[in-house]
Amino acid sequence: MTAEDQKAFEDEIYAFVGREVCPPTPAKDDVNSTMIRHWAEILGDSNPAYTDEAWAKNSARGKTIAPPAMLYVWNQEGFAATTGRAPDAQTALVDLFNQHGYTGVLGTNVKQEYFREVSPGDTVVMAMTIDNISERKTTVRGPGYFFETLATFTNQHGETIGTQRFKVLKFIPQEQPAAAASEDTLKVPTRIASPRGHDNKWWWDACDEGKILIQRCKNCQTLRHPPRPMCGECQSMEWDSIESTLDGEVLSHTQLHHPKIPGYQYPLICAVIKLAEGTNIVSNIVGCEPSEVHIGMAVKGVVEQVDEKTMLPQFYPA
Amino acid sequence: MSEYKTLTCAEVSVGDKLPPQDIDITTGLVVCGALATRDFEPVHHNKAAAVATGLPDVFMNILTSQGLMTRFATDWSGPEAVVKSLDLRLGAPNVPGMVMTMTGEVTAVDTENGIVDISVLGENNIWGMHMQGSVQLALPQEA
Amino acid sequence: MVANVKDKAVIVGIGNTTFSKDSGVSELSLAVQAVKAALDDAGLKPSDIDGMATFTMDTNDEIEVARALGAGELTFYGRSHYGGGAATSCLHQATMAVATGMAETVVVYRALNGRSGHRFSGGVSGEITTADAIHWGWYMPYGLLTPASWVAMFTQRWMHNTGVTKDALFEVAHSTRTYGANNPAAFFYGREFDRAEYDAARMIADPLQLFDCCQESDGGSAVIVTTPERARDLRHPGVSVRGVAQCAAENQEQMTSFYREEFAGIPEMETAAKNVYAMSGLSADDIDAAVIYDAFSPIVLWQLEAWGFCGYGESGDFVKDGALRTNGRLPTNTHGGQLSEAYIHGVNGIVEATRLVRGTSVNQPAKTVNHALVTSGVGIPTGGAILGRMD
Repeated sequence: MTAEDQKAFEDEIYAFVGREVCPPTPAKDDVNSTMIRHWAEILGDSNPAYTDEAWAKNSARGKTIAPPAMLYVWNQEGFAATTGRAPDAQTALVDLFNQHGYTGVLGTNVKQEYFREVSPGDTVVMAMTIDNISERKTTVRGPGYFFETLATFTNQHGETIGTQRFKVLKFIPQEQPAAAASEDTLKVPTRIASPRGHDNKWWWDACDEGKILIQRCKNCQTLRHPPRPMCGECQSMEWDSIESTLDGEVLSHTQLHHPKIPGYQYPLICAVIKLAEGTNIVSNIVGCEPSEVHIGMAVKGVVEQVDEKTMLPQFYPA
Repeated sequence: MSEYKTLTCAEVSVGDKLPPQDIDITTGLVVCGALATRDFEPVHHNKAAAVATGLPDVFMNILTSQGLMTRFATDWSGPEAVVKSLDLRLGAPNVPGMVMTMTGEVTAVDTENGIVDISVLGENNIWGMHMQGSVQLALPQEA
Repeated sequence: MVANVKDKAVIVGIGNTTFSKDSGVSELSLAVQAVKAALDDAGLKPSDIDGMATFTMDTNDEIEVARALGAGELTFYGRSHYGGGAATSCLHQATMAVATGMAETVVVYRALNGRSGHRFSGGVSGEITTADAIHWGWYMPYGLLTPASWVAMFTQRWMHNTGVTKDALFEVAHSTRTYGANNPAAFFYGREFDRAEYDAARMIADPLQLFDCCQESDGGSAVIVTTPERARDLRHPGVSVRGVAQCAAENQEQMTSFYREEFAGIPEMETAAKNVYAMSGLSADDIDAAVIYDAFSPIVLWQLEAWGFCGYGESGDFVKDGALRTNGRLPTNTHGGQLSEAYIHGVNGIVEATRLVRGTSVNQPAKTVNHALVTSGVGIPTGGAILGRMD
């Protein structure tokens, strides 16, 4: 697309800002206990304010209410939407994006504010406009634009009961989805394992058996970790190992906040720990609040199964 | 009344953790949740339609996620709490077979106006963050 | 004792591509654009290049760059390992090649789609199959697998040892971004930034927050190094390599040297500094401005200590007095650094250090810059160089 084409396209989409998607329109059905009950049962929400009339009568409200998160539900177009949505400003905008290759769609943000609760018998009236469209952004999905609709909800008395801002990304998909993903993608991820080679396999194999070993030079008895083939002190290649008691002291630590890696449990704290034997090891601190971890803290390690596939030493406050 | 307790602002402090919830993402929850919120988009009830978009199965619609978020907050606060707002950012889809763990904590307490802000994170065990955001509640001033 | 190549190689051309988050072109395209820009700056032709130096992690093969540019024969090509630690190591390679006559004109380049392509912040993974994998295996299972997390581990202990606080990290983050906000080529151009935004930003790996970390970028940078004789005929006054060194210290790991008696330090940079000073006959007092590798804010502080601008643990006080600012003792990262210009693994830093000596930085200090320091990434085998005006 040339710069002029791009400009023409953007002029066209930005003209949608402020346009009405729908004028104030009452929902086809009033707020009703049947739909509320369906919702509450399926979501497992036992809040008596929604479904227990006896309780509600004696509550501060004096009656049941609709779950606030149902605000938008009453005005949903329903099954008819699957056979083609009536054209409006939003469908026109979406068509325009699609025509220019921005065929991907992703709801990214929803913000609802609730000013008044509604109860069975109330009518929810919704009006919607296209509130804003971002500049062109580079996203992980591909280049695209965010557009946001603003819905305003009123009741049968004309009182505002809430608003909804809904943000959608329209983007140019970067790759065709790989041949339909299979259920295999739903395996629970595990921690990233160390590759095992000549110089470290014995260590990880022992860890799998619940033991943390420290390599020891057979010649000069110097301990070393991580394992390597030669003693740096005397250059001997003969070695054996001792088992650590896993008594240790924290030398440094960090709590990992971002990015969160699938397969790891957060909050996640990594630490450099000085073992009683004298070598250092990197591991996790568990069994306490992150704020309690400090340099100099005494810890005790236990080799544990941390996920389906992984055995690791984990250190607890001693 | 007594079987349901609602927290008051005096009982709540910044940093309080909400009891975590593990939500089993089942086909029933995904499909029925979509229908209960009148969301009939095929990707939420028709596996073939979902697979065509590159996902392994039907996936949860946004209104169900919103519902789970408010439920998480009011399960903690009690039924006299009034939900004032909900603000969420969406991440990875929830697909049947996953477990979504919801955690949250109190980020602000305005005792004068009885307003409490809660941050909420819903992470599934396969793809990580499904939704992240905040819920604002009005709590009764006194029990 | 390090061999002395003082003033035997001269930077005569510098070039950057546009820096962006999505270049929309190949890394090879960025590489040749950067090299061509550096050649144009020098007033040289592609056929003048007979040597090349880049990073082991660069995807642009020397011969591909040469062929795309239309260069002729290459008589020297050498790569340096260890990520950002290679920045001045490439200059070290080029200097050695020129000083020994192995090549006459060597281009140092680094080009990457570091944001739109492979992102380093994603961390290492079990999928890598290099010899490094065994090393990362001691950290990956615990979740310590991003550059920020490794640096955080050092930072936590260094702050504990020295009592340096986040105030000092903020001063690095803020002084650098103040420069970046004034550099039209920088990501941060025109941006405002204050302590409230710094404090409110998301935690990455404590104590590092978002603004303690550089952004990832797409782009390329290159510098042309040649002999003093050749340099005299070219477009700009030459910027001479007064001293350059690389060093891997004892018990060194890549980013995870946690097994030293005291690991809150960078002995590899202390040795590099000592050798650069010895080669150049200069000391910290002679350095007028600096480009100090800043993938993360605290690593600037450690390097100030390693290069002797202040003692161990004193960098917090050193920077709080405004030393890094334009009128300070050591104006530093005047292009906005990698924190806010672009993250081109330090080669854009060599470009800026050259500008500082030429007197053409967009944030040129008022004082005369006789000598500028430029350094490589730390936590890894590293190095640095002092640049000065060619006599």
